[in-house]
Amino acid sequence: MVDFYIGLFLASLIVALFTTRLFRLLMWYSFNSLMLGLLALIIGIEFNDDGLIITGVLTIIVKSLAIPYFLKKFSQQFHIVREIQPEIKVQYAIMLIPAILVFTFYLAEPITNMILNNSNHIAISISSLFLSLLLMMEHKNVAPKVIGFLSMENSLFLLGVTATEGMPMIVELGIFFDLLMAIVVINLLFTREEIKND
Amino acid sequence: MIELLFTPILLMFGLSFIKNRKVDKALAFVSFLILIPTISFLEIPKPFNLFGEYLIVDDLGAYILFVSSIVGVGVALSLLTLKKHVMISQKAYRRFYRFFAIFWVGLILSILSNNMGIYWIGLELATLSTVYMIRTNHSKMAHKEAWNYMIVGTIAISLILFGIILIYASAKPILGEEAMQFNLLLAHAKDIKSPFLFEIGFAIVTIGMFVKMGFFPMNLWLANIERASYYPVSALFSGILESAVIIGFFRFSKIMMEINYDHLFIFVLIYTVLTIFIVSFLIFRTKDFMRLFSLSGVEHMALITLFWVSGGVFPALLHFGAHAFLKPALFLSTGVLESKGKYKIRGTLKGYQGKRGKLFWILVSLFLLAVISLPPSPMFFSEIYGFGAMIEFAKKGDYLVVMLAFIFLLLILLSIIFYKFIEVYQSMKYEGKEEKKEVYPSEILALFIFAIALVALLTPPVINYLKNIM
Repeated sequence: MVDFYIGLFLASLIVALFTTRLFRLLMWYSFNSLMLGLLALIIGIEFNDDGLIITGVLTIIVKSLAIPYFLKKFSQQFHIVREIQPEIKVQYAIMLIPAILVFTFYLAEPITNMILNNSNHIAISISSLFLSLLLMMEHKNVAPKVIGFLSMENSLFLLGVTATEGMPMIVELGIFFDLLMAIVVINLLFTREEIKND
Repeated sequence: MIELLFTPILLMFGLSFIKNRKVDKALAFVSFLILIPTISFLEIPKPFNLFGEYLIVDDLGAYILFVSSIVGVGVALSLLTLKKHVMISQKAYRRFYRFFAIFWVGLILSILSNNMGIYWIGLELATLSTVYMIRTNHSKMAHKEAWNYMIVGTIAISLILFGIILIYASAKPILGEEAMQFNLLLAHAKDIKSPFLFEIGFAIVTIGMFVKMGFFPMNLWLANIERASYYPVSALFSGILESAVIIGFFRFSKIMMEINYDHLFIFVLIYTVLTIFIVSFLIFRTKDFMRLFSLSGVEHMALITLFWVSGGVFPALLHFGAHAFLKPALFLSTGVLESKGKYKIRGTLKGYQGKRGKLFWILVSLFLLAVISLPPSPMFFSEIYGFGAMIEFAKKGDYLVVMLAFIFLLLILLSIIFYKFIEVYQSMKYEGKEEKKEVYPSEILALFIFAIALVALLTPPVINYLKNIM
């Protein structure tokens, strides 16, 4: 079951790389976060780890529902361009993405050799990190770059869950708080020229 | 004690919501109050558990927090006259203080944290709060750079978190969930069963920190941001935010020293020399104050890290203190220097009349000469001791000649920077036309505080305190 969710996590990130519409990209991010949340819940229930269960629930609520909702609201409020054409052409992206995946498996070999449990999952989370970076790089618009950053955070969360069976609860909560703070700052960055309203 | 530390911050946050122009002075006054707990931290017996095992006050943390709080006072004083130099609305001004309060929370968490995760949370909080501060300038360039900072800053921060996860994974088999704590990691560094995993994690953390400090290959991104933002924001970046980053490097590198000192030293030596090499030529080509000071900040941060990994704790911390006072002082001066047109170097130190004016140009001249390590600047002494520490370190191995060659190269690069600063200073003082310019008392007071702090760095009690930090 864990493999299934990690597969869907990776698949949603790959599909997001080909997306040319902002709302659809938000939907894929939401789906990506949902898979991550479910994964944390399953592992938490399996190991009877309350911290991981709470984190899983929070991931679903905050990352899968709240953040996509607010980002969609901001994009409507501030009239952000919804057509987001990736700078890398589809035919090149089709070759580039598998190359990144294969390359990451080789690159992560020294790390996966040392972490005996879930070594493939660790390689996948590192490749997700690279794919999220690609998402940030292939778009000129700010909104997809923000989603790339949020996907990067998801990949790091996946790494934390698979490599260490979850980080301490206080750290996870802190990361969630920072994420909410990031959304507040993003909102303020979208707001234009408040000097006129004064 | 924790209440004493966070009360001024909460007050600052609360006051920032009051829609009254009289609140400006109250906000500045409240930000001075942070000095009270930071001074008391210097005197209490250490290590002092401020909040369980999560926040611990040690000698290093107390020193860096105290230095940061002095810079905070200087910045708050300069904010009093910000509206006289630049266009900023009352709403944006109050919101600036709101984010300044959040910035302080992040800073305190990262400086006093004994937990890698909390350190990261603090650093992220401080980074995010500065994004809005850049945006207080309503120019297109500032808007672009705020996004740029948001994106590059978060990539750097993500790299740090990536490294922290790997370090945690390497130590979790022996320490469990407590593998997040710096002090336990240091005590059990030699027991870590996969030191290679730790080293990979450390390298990634370090690269993230170096990106944040503007090291190679990201030399210009910080300079562009500091150019685009208002001068108090640049002062905060150079004087306080970099403190939060560098203390993380100090703590992580102490653990790395126990695991593989040689790898740490070679990695940092090559990285910092490469950084100073690039930065010295960028400084040579620069044409405005902000970029000059910003790039010089990168050079100094590289020297601090190099001295630290060479075992020169005292020179590294002395250099850190001097840089933390000098750079914000220079950035705050640019607010006055550029009030009669941006990018103008010729004759900018001319035209300051009256006692206040004279004191201003004398102080700025002294700061400019002190930042290039002209004696008796604390930077002169820290560099002498720092290079001495590098030689002492090399004597322990078989690389004395290589180290001497590196020091020689560094001295050539530093002389390029020295030449440029002298050229800029001469142009500011002896070229161009004289125009009448205004300096306000709070600005002079801010510069004066920095000058006193710089002199205090060379007093016996401070030197003894720094020498006792391990």
